[in-house]
Amino acid sequence: MKALGRVAAVVAAGATVAGCAGGPGAGGGDDKISDGKVVLAVLNDQSAVYADLSGKSSVEAVNMAVADYKAKYGDKAVAKDVEVLSADHQNKPEVANSKAQELYDRQHADIVLDVPSSAAALAVAGVAKAKKKLFMDIGAATTELEGAQCNKYTFHYGYNTYMLAHGTGDTVTKDGSKNWYIVYPDYAFGQDMQKNFTAAVQGAGGKVIQSDPAPFPNDNFSTFLLKAPGLDPKPQVLGTMQAGGDLVNLVKQYNEYKLRDKGIGLAVGLMFITDIHSLGPDALAGTKFTDAWYWNGSPGNRAWADKFQAKAGKRPSFPNAANYSAATQYLEAVQRAGTDGADAVIKQLEGHKFEDAFAQNATIRAEDHLLLHDVSLAQVKPASEVKEPWDYEKILSTIPADQAFQPADPACKL
Amino acid sequence: MILSRLARRPLLLAAGLVLALALPWMIYPPVALDMACWALFAAALDLLLGFTGLLSFGHAAFWGGSAYAAALIAVHSGLPFPVAALGGAVFAAVLALPIGYLSVRLRGIYFAMVTLAFAQMVYFVVNQWRDLTGGENGLQGVPRELFGLDLSDSFVFYYAALPLLLAGFVAVWRVVRSPFGRVLVSIRDNPARAQALGYPVERYKLLAFVLSAALSGLAGGLFALGHGFASLESVYWTTSGQAVMMVVLGGIGTLWGGVIGAGLVVELNDYLVTVGFDGIGIVTGTIFVIIVLVFRRGIWGTARDLLAARTGRRRPGEPGSGDTQDGAPARTPGVGTPV
Amino acid sequence: MLQQAFNGLVGGAFYALLALGLAVIFGMLGVVNFAHGAFYMLGAFGSYVLLDSFGVNFWAALVLVPLLLGLAGTVLERLFIRRLAPLDPLYNFLFTFGLALILQDLVKREYGVQSQPYPRPGLLSGTVDLGLFGYPAYQVFVLAVSVVVCAAVWVVLTRTRVGMIVRAATERPDLTRALGIDVGRWVTPVFGFGIALAGLAGVLAAPMRAVNPLMGADLIITVFAVVVIGGLGSIFGSVAAGFAIGLVSALGNLYVPALSQTLVFILMAAVLLWRPAGLFGREEALS
Repeated sequence: MKALGRVAAVVAAGATVAGCAGGPGAGGGDDKISDGKVVLAVLNDQSAVYADLSGKSSVEAVNMAVADYKAKYGDKAVAKDVEVLSADHQNKPEVANSKAQELYDRQHADIVLDVPSSAAALAVAGVAKAKKKLFMDIGAATTELEGAQCNKYTFHYGYNTYMLAHGTGDTVTKDGSKNWYIVYPDYAFGQDMQKNFTAAVQGAGGKVIQSDPAPFPNDNFSTFLLKAPGLDPKPQVLGTMQAGGDLVNLVKQYNEYKLRDKGIGLAVGLMFITDIHSLGPDALAGTKFTDAWYWNGSPGNRAWADKFQAKAGKRPSFPNAANYSAATQYLEAVQRAGTDGADAVIKQLEGHKFEDAFAQNATIRAEDHLLLHDVSLAQVKPASEVKEPWDYEKILSTIPADQAFQPADPACKL
Repeated sequence: MILSRLARRPLLLAAGLVLALALPWMIYPPVALDMACWALFAAALDLLLGFTGLLSFGHAAFWGGSAYAAALIAVHSGLPFPVAALGGAVFAAVLALPIGYLSVRLRGIYFAMVTLAFAQMVYFVVNQWRDLTGGENGLQGVPRELFGLDLSDSFVFYYAALPLLLAGFVAVWRVVRSPFGRVLVSIRDNPARAQALGYPVERYKLLAFVLSAALSGLAGGLFALGHGFASLESVYWTTSGQAVMMVVLGGIGTLWGGVIGAGLVVELNDYLVTVGFDGIGIVTGTIFVIIVLVFRRGIWGTARDLLAARTGRRRPGEPGSGDTQDGAPARTPGVGTPV
Repeated sequence: MLQQAFNGLVGGAFYALLALGLAVIFGMLGVVNFAHGAFYMLGAFGSYVLLDSFGVNFWAALVLVPLLLGLAGTVLERLFIRRLAPLDPLYNFLFTFGLALILQDLVKREYGVQSQPYPRPGLLSGTVDLGLFGYPAYQVFVLAVSVVVCAAVWVVLTRTRVGMIVRAATERPDLTRALGIDVGRWVTPVFGFGIALAGLAGVLAAPMRAVNPLMGADLIITVFAVVVIGGLGSIFGSVAAGFAIGLVSALGNLYVPALSQTLVFILMAAVLLWRPAGLFGREEALS
């Protein structure tokens, strides 16, 4: 019953705040902020598969956002006392579920950020809905978050399977590679990607000659690689939807079989800069993929990346930057609302248009709480063109925000 | 045996009950619920390992299989949660039949490997059958209702689920004390003799396997309902490993040892996650290795031996570890003897 | 089709090497080594670390890493496995399970979970013309090494005194002891050798598979199934089943992709139903 009591108290506090919210004043009194402080909690994978991609470095990014917010508003800041918490969910949805409850209930988190992997993200979305607190998911790719399982308190920030598949499938097809052979891992993520990718290729006038499910996890892709050149007509591109270790396996073997020399290019559904780092750029040189953000993609990105490197000691991945952006936009919304009451902040976020170090030409779509922003079609550089550490990508083109993401799903009712 | 001791000591039983009732007041309710579910899982596994001598390394199939079955029942039928949990347990029992039929014919170590392999197969099926299970997204949004009452608060759900969990414990306890349980113990100790006495050994083993699976399923179903979703993690081999770890930590063949093991492992995991230590396997693995190397009786078994040694001093003449009154062997199970 | 079959054999080469290591260890010690997958992972990581930190190339690693791991195996046997040997084999199974968790998380803590880069050795970067089709040289090399090692082990087992003792101890442990043969002397080296085989498989995997701390965890369960199919008491059965399963899963990928992951387990169920002791196993596996 303690938990219930606490929630009631928080809701009551929120109601008082909403009643007297008069815009951000110099003395944004403590009664407008629940528990006297704004608490941001980064819940992500700090020990399992996504640890290197986001993990503890994203906590650093959120700390940067808080510092920038304080520097920007100084005495005028509505959130005077901001605390950043972090928790590890080890990529286990059960742990994510319990930790999210604990963060909201016991540690008074006003917002939970990041939460990679779809199962964990969907579980936390359920918690956010029950606790009526904000959740901005960055790490998970599933479109379910803004589809059938969307809710008022959940935002999806950065990327999703539609964006990944559509960006690459559409652009590469329009560039002249009409015939595709798709290999995808046979589980939810891969199946989604295959569906979206096929639609994108066909939409751009291309043809998917065949698409094959591969076991997951899998360390031997020879079956598919051997089969590719013999298909009729011969595919011009092999589209792989594999991720992480499987992607590394597939690419190593793709090079073994020298498919590029046999005229079959490689397009990748989901690739993170950490994947390029682990394979070495030469293994992937020429591969095209859609990237939500690249640290060296523009002078603005680079400036932020330099600041990040000074703090975290490495170049940022896109989830790092997205965590910074999400925390910033949340704090800005608190500033505009004059309170950290969830409903008032959500009102400020919905439909908000902005630009920041991560998101250009950005809108938070009110219908489904999906962040729309410009994304890039990137190509991996050969090692000979790499001029500095982590300088792996060449940006080929920008996919504007309104084309990069799917139209709002009618299944989503906030 | 400890059970009859317990029966003679209603105080201990009452203390256990009070602890079960007070748990969500002492620790965070979702963690308390995890502990209670894992405790039943461990006890059910010990029924097989400690009292039948079969080490199943594939019980995740039943815990997780039931989690999905219970979640599916709750999502699609809207039946009250106890029905869903029991449905999950029935599903686990049905799943255990073919797996058990093929496995119980094999000797100790082979049995462990084969159950592990079958559980991995269940994992792959759940992962691929996306339309039904949600694949890696998990089966989300499972309702927890009882006659229109919303139980989504972990604190409330704990008390709603407690009667079912306690019923599970009583069932394990009854099985162990029953004539059937005694036959199991005799099969564990000397299968050839049991066979010679005319017991259909394999059928007994199979029945024990199915019972253990059903009770593991009950625990897994409640675990999934309590969290509001079923996930792939629940059918992964690490889940089987964790349950085995709990039983060994608490003491094989002690029944209540598994409960203590579950409490410790869940608490330890929660602590390590909270302090942000990456490499939980290093800590749990090391503890486990030490237990296997040095304290094979586990926590409960070691404590019981110490206690027995003391009472032994006070009342010389009484056998040290356990009594043979109700037909159970005086020898502590699982200590350096063929399990 | 031929090409696919060949490719299946390459996949089977890894199963065979791992199953062979498991089988000799099991035969000699009655221990099922759960940590076998972890040692395979250490083999791959070992060659990565040697290259990355010490500039030791693939060819040297191919010799050095199995030697080092074999040595580690003998220490492990002396310190721990031996203590548990007189007890039920399940205790060593549990011990190695705990060990696998520790090894895996230690590597994870040190190197993270990202896959580490490991280049193919330059000499083997081309393709080999196999008459009917061209095939990547490195994969041909992997298959050749695996076949040679398995054949060499076979020769040692059948033609030498050590081999006869090991074989006798594997297949008729009680009788061997009763005949007064000192089996104990060979226990430690055989355990080390089994671990070295896992390490060798790991080194061979580094250039063609993802090198990360989790690479051995799932693989070992499949290898367990392979060994059950072959018959756990049988060294020949394990190797044969290794190559056969590699072949079957490659063809399964091609013709019944939906079943490709469960295929090996379905086969295991079928074999258990038909011959509970495995294809080449002895009845002693049964209860």
